[in-house]
Amino acid sequence: MNDRLSKLQQDITLIELVDRVLNKGVVLAGDITLSVADVDLIYVSLRALLASAGTIDRLQLDTG
Amino acid sequence: MLYLYAFAERPVRLPDGLGLEGSALSAEEADGVTAVVSAVTGGTVRPSEEAVLAHAHVVDALAELNEAVVPARFGRAFSDAERLRRVMAERSDALGRALRHVRGCVELGLRAIPPANATGEAPASGRDYMRWRLAEQHRIERLGDDLDAPLAALARASTGMQTAPGLLSAAYLVPRERVDDFRRAVRELERTHGGVALACTGPWPPYSFATADPDGS
Repeated sequence: MNDRLSKLQQDITLIELVDRVLNKGVVLAGDITLSVADVDLIYVSLRALLASAGTIDRLQLDTG
Repeated sequence: MLYLYAFAERPVRLPDGLGLEGSALSAEEADGVTAVVSAVTGGTVRPSEEAVLAHAHVVDALAELNEAVVPARFGRAFSDAERLRRVMAERSDALGRALRHVRGCVELGLRAIPPANATGEAPASGRDYMRWRLAEQHRIERLGDDLDAPLAALARASTGMQTAPGLLSAAYLVPRERVDDFRRAVRELERTHGGVALACTGPWPPYSFATADPDGS
């Protein structure tokens, strides 16, 4: 149980990291930015880390 | 081009590590605000897992060395230093305000999975179902308020509780010396709210509190 919870905490931490770096943080009117499609590409390449739906399912199984 | 990681106060302490594509970090100043950047070749930001993590590592290292760091969103770059300084000068009031707001604080994240509804399964019929949905929504919102209030009291700022189906989440700007108190408060909330699963993440650099809008919002 403790191992599973600590793995879960790691997954959540990675999801939260990627969410912060890509979606939060200050934005100024820079002249070079990523397109929305580029950001989507990053999400695709990070899907192994993200797997957020699966993580939430497991969280509910663990605590339900 | 100059890739942007974060803003800091003068004099900034730069970490030893490298930025995107192994580039060296440097500082650009305008109107009392410092931008941490690195010169990256090419005219576009190439998105990749490595680049996202490199950005995160630079911001983390900066936040460890400096009292006030306002992270920039991933993927922002400027064609040259003059252009960057001009944009910084336009927003210097807001950037200064943002830096003062986060000084001495870290961001802590909270995710909560509410306990399953004691009243059981969703009713099948239309009107009963809508009534059930509404009651369920109120239950989640009440739980969110109950969890948020004691934590917001320990924080300098809160994003407020965001609700998604089956999940509550929030971020808090917490003075470093209160991080242990905050974590204790989360454990206490888990104990007093039977069945709710809480995860406290961080400390993060204050990404969720990094804004430089001219109106101060």
